[in-house]
Amino acid sequence: MTCDELRPDYVLFAMGVLEDPERSELRAHLERGCQVCTPGVIEARQLAYTMGASAEGPEPSKGLRKRILASAGAPAKRRWHWPTAWQAAAAMVLLTIGLTAYVARNRAAETAALREEIARRGTETANLREALSLLQAPETREVTFGEGKPAPPRGRVFINQSSGVLLVASNLPAPPAGKIYEMWIIPKGGKPAPAGLFASSEDGTALHLHRTTISLATTGAIAVTLERAGGVDAPTSQPVIVAAL
Amino acid sequence: MLALLLAVLAKTDGDLLVRLQKRDPQALAELYDRYGKMVYGLILRIVSDTGTTEDLVQETFLRVWNRAQGFDSERGAVGPWLMAVARNRAIDYLRSQGRRIQSSVEFNETEHPSLFANLQTEMLQFDVIKHMKTALERLDGKQRKAIELAYFEGMSQTEIAERMGQPLGTVKTWVRRALQQLREELGGVAPA
Repeated sequence: MTCDELRPDYVLFAMGVLEDPERSELRAHLERGCQVCTPGVIEARQLAYTMGASAEGPEPSKGLRKRILASAGAPAKRRWHWPTAWQAAAAMVLLTIGLTAYVARNRAAETAALREEIARRGTETANLREALSLLQAPETREVTFGEGKPAPPRGRVFINQSSGVLLVASNLPAPPAGKIYEMWIIPKGGKPAPAGLFASSEDGTALHLHRTTISLATTGAIAVTLERAGGVDAPTSQPVIVAAL
Repeated sequence: MLALLLAVLAKTDGDLLVRLQKRDPQALAELYDRYGKMVYGLILRIVSDTGTTEDLVQETFLRVWNRAQGFDSERGAVGPWLMAVARNRAIDYLRSQGRRIQSSVEFNETEHPSLFANLQTEMLQFDVIKHMKTALERLDGKQRKAIELAYFEGMSQTEIAERMGQPLGTVKTWVRRALQQLREELGGVAPA
């Protein structure tokens, strides 16, 4: 697609809601440093975030600031008071306070990490709910891969025209450092389209959901390749998984 | 003079980020004082519940506090990044509550720090925000609804069409016209 054709979609891309094929096309323009689309998307991001800033609301509660600073291990106020006559004694006290604060800050950091973990689990639960919804849909088509082959991985791909593609795999080794698995939707007679990045867990299992609309009639296969972290726009290695429709 | 002022503002944000990266707790306090109300307003607009909003505001600031190391302080704009993190947390919450079962977009990629390189922080200054609010109010009702579903609920055009019970082509036309009108109305204050 040309830059002129993609121009109206810059803001939707900046909002993260642009769908394929326009999204993949625009990503490709940005990847190659397109002189038209790159500044266009930067301007669109500014427009999008101004939209968010325009959502006015009431003042947050007074306790929220304190709560946020406390959870990050930061004091709500800073106090600097140095009585010079007691510097030697104060040094000992400060050392004790410093150690205590260090321990407290570590605990606060752990709390912050736990909160992030809870939020992450919440997102995972939402993803699993979507995956179950896709599995239960009567129109979802199931394809098995890896059967009868001497080398793993094995598993199944579930495809739903309106929900997307769910890949469930086992015996898939964890990607080496700096690498990640990338799923591809391969149209019949067409170029593979990127369908999201994922990593397998330590026990070799993987579950990846790519939300998209997909045509069963025109899709030839779902494949997975090992790529550099961050992903690529076109496969650069032999597929480790191929599920032919 | 204005350019100098904007440069100073941008520098101040950059300095703040450097201090966040050094884990200076006072920098987090300043970040909250500068953007806390804005973040709170955005999240409340999305989730419509004050208790949940406070939890998500806390989560947003902690996420930025814990991930500031990945941000290029020379080129990045911390305000827009913070707002993107806030929006994503709020929309993730909507999805986790089952208010959004399906989605066709990979959403969290929109908050990666690298996406905020070279953004100008003046876009979040008062005048521009005021212009945006007025421009949104001037949109045709259906066009505004479509834009709001995209931004505040993270819906794709296909999802908007389903929600509004309209053909996809109609929604695409509304969205394009609305964005064109916003660009034109903000032309005088938004960077070209």
